[in-house]
Amino acid sequence: MLELRNISKSYENKKVLADINVTIEAGEIVSLLGPSGCGKTTLLNIILGLTQQTKGQLFYNGQDISKQSMQDRGFNIVFQDFALFPHLNAYDNIVYGLKNKKTQMSATEVQEYIDFLELTPHLQKKVHELSGGQKQRVSIARTLVMQPNILLMDEPLSALDGVIKESIKERIKSIARQFHLTTIIVTHDPEEALTLSDKVMIINEGTIAQFGTPSDIVQKPNNPFIEDFILKQLHIKRHNIYQLFGEIYA
Amino acid sequence: MLKTTKVMKLLFFPIIAFLLCFLIVPLLYMFWQSFKMGDTVTLQNYVEVLRNIEIREAFMHSFAVSLVSALITTIFAFLLAYAVHFTRMHRSIKKIMQVGITLPMLLPTITYGFVLIYTFGNQGIVTRLLGQPLFTIYGFNGLVIGYILYTLPVAFILMQNSMQYIDKRFVLVSMLMHDSPPRRFYHTVFRPMIGTIGGAFILSFILSFTDFGIPASVGGSYKVIATELYRAMLGSIVHFERGAVISVLMLLPAVLGVVILTILERFNFQYKQVSDSELIPARGRDWFFTLLSLISVVGIFIIFSTMFLVPFTKGYPYDFGLTLEHVQSVLAEKNLTQVYINSLIVAFATALLGVVVTFIAALLNVRTPVKGRKAFDMASMITNTVPGMVLGLSYLFFFNGSSLKGTFFIIIACNVVHFFTTPYLMAKNSLLKMDPTWEVTAALLQDSWLQTVIRIILPNIRATIYQIFSYYFLNAMVTVSGVIFLVSTKTMLVSTRIKELQHFAKYTEIFVLSIFILATNLIVKLGCDYITTHKKGEMKK
Repeated sequence: MLELRNISKSYENKKVLADINVTIEAGEIVSLLGPSGCGKTTLLNIILGLTQQTKGQLFYNGQDISKQSMQDRGFNIVFQDFALFPHLNAYDNIVYGLKNKKTQMSATEVQEYIDFLELTPHLQKKVHELSGGQKQRVSIARTLVMQPNILLMDEPLSALDGVIKESIKERIKSIARQFHLTTIIVTHDPEEALTLSDKVMIINEGTIAQFGTPSDIVQKPNNPFIEDFILKQLHIKRHNIYQLFGEIYA
Repeated sequence: MLKTTKVMKLLFFPIIAFLLCFLIVPLLYMFWQSFKMGDTVTLQNYVEVLRNIEIREAFMHSFAVSLVSALITTIFAFLLAYAVHFTRMHRSIKKIMQVGITLPMLLPTITYGFVLIYTFGNQGIVTRLLGQPLFTIYGFNGLVIGYILYTLPVAFILMQNSMQYIDKRFVLVSMLMHDSPPRRFYHTVFRPMIGTIGGAFILSFILSFTDFGIPASVGGSYKVIATELYRAMLGSIVHFERGAVISVLMLLPAVLGVVILTILERFNFQYKQVSDSELIPARGRDWFFTLLSLISVVGIFIIFSTMFLVPFTKGYPYDFGLTLEHVQSVLAEKNLTQVYINSLIVAFATALLGVVVTFIAALLNVRTPVKGRKAFDMASMITNTVPGMVLGLSYLFFFNGSSLKGTFFIIIACNVVHFFTTPYLMAKNSLLKMDPTWEVTAALLQDSWLQTVIRIILPNIRATIYQIFSYYFLNAMVTVSGVIFLVSTKTMLVSTRIKELQHFAKYTEIFVLSIFILATNLIVKLGCDYITTHKKGEMKK
């Protein structure tokens, strides 16, 4: 369980985040959704331990981790463009962090992760020979073998195209379930957030506009920002799809 | 796809003819000469040179001293580039260091030697401050310091450019993976830089190996190959064949270097994108690199300060009274002002011709289907290998009987060819970055190819053109090795005049002339930089 209490962040005179209070349960997938510049990436970096909050505290399973270093927190992140080492092949990227761990992971355990992500045929490939979806899976595998307490993902779908997107979405859901892994995802796409996560935190101008389940947000939007910017987009999409397929699919 | 037009061919032939006449043929001719003894073709010249103990010794010296200075330069350049890109050193210190390190580039290498003598020699500033010389400056020590000063800017710029394209976020990934500092350093900086590190080392080595200015001034009795070549050609007894052989031997390490560079190329890889990631604060690291940067810059400033101290004091090192006497007497000497004007003429003409040649060559290579356009890539590879002294000497052989001998044109041509590689690649890069569909778009709007070049390509490459102009101008102003064999009494340049003044121990004049060069180069460089950034700013609007 991760709890944020009164998290605020300002750079010089600019306030980026103000009094964020939220509790994320273990094993949940939570999306941080909002327009660019709303502070969602800053919040992700604060949770990761890369950026120091100006005010407020973080608790992980009841323990105050506000001052803990990034390494000591034991969270990990998958980057938008995957950040795979270009001079190593897929396999060496996956096991990169294992060499630094004190408790060794057995080869069969590593293979389990590789099988789970269906990467066996691609292990010897150079990074630039992998497709977008394969890179994404290698990047996830590299992070998972480190057995992070919380998995953070920065725009995990934006570098992928159409069909792959849907399959990676399913993959992320099954990872969270299989490993009972708390997963926090940053995205600017309402459809992605609402179809991928157990809960969605909508951030606007540095504050939480609404935090709830996808159906809460769709049925009971609690302020005009959510209606105007989040739901409106979805309505337009729905309208377009109806037009294509006809009302029977409603 | 574009079709080859007459205009393209009309542009192609003069450029290729120029490169043939002033690069390929003279080199081949010199190569031929090295096998000739009277009228017979023989290997005897080589045998004699290799038997000559002095030349063998000079070779070993050149090798040793270049190796040592290239090693030190590479390490320094790496650390300084690291300071710029991988530390949170204060921004103003980064800027000062970047500028300070590269300032010596605006001076001829022959000046480096004289400022070193005036800093560390018997009457030098440092010597006087310490009471006794730190070490003997003549010979090995002086050469090493001189070569470092000379090659550090180039190596630093190379490393800096390359580090700029390393994705800094991998430092973060490495930390999340709990890497130890050495492993982090290896995977996030060292491994991505291996190709460049090797490249910088080889470049520094070749530059040192073939430089003439530094050994001419501070070499003392420590013989190196460049001074041996000079002695063979312009010494009291002239040995033409020996000169040709030494030139060919001088080419060898350069050719070898280029071969190694192409192999090193394979170690390079590109990051798909470079994201700016905040670097983790580390006090100790930042302090260390701040200190290192400051020491380097201050060191360079102290060494070159003598250049200003000597001419403006009444009688260095005995009378430190401020005076303009020396400067005035140099200005009064018609001979010296004429030499300065000669240099200006050569530098401007080199820059103009250089811009024309490199731009057209790159344009034809990148954006047209002209047959034989790959020849320009070959030419740029060759000019990258051939040391200035060797090129100049090949002209001396080839154009000896012709009317070109002793003209400004031969010097200008030598400069344009000698410094061809970098500007050509600069032009190529900018042209490659431009949208490949422009020509087609313009053709659909009824432009001819030439109109497209004038209306679309040229306005968009203007910034690079100014940079090329400035590169050629600066190098033409400071080069000694390229033109030492080509100047006549009528076409004497500042940099070669300095070599002459050395004979008469007129150091004050040497420094005044150096200041002239420095000031001129600063004006041209700042001017070009200003126009470049100005134009870029305009484009963004």
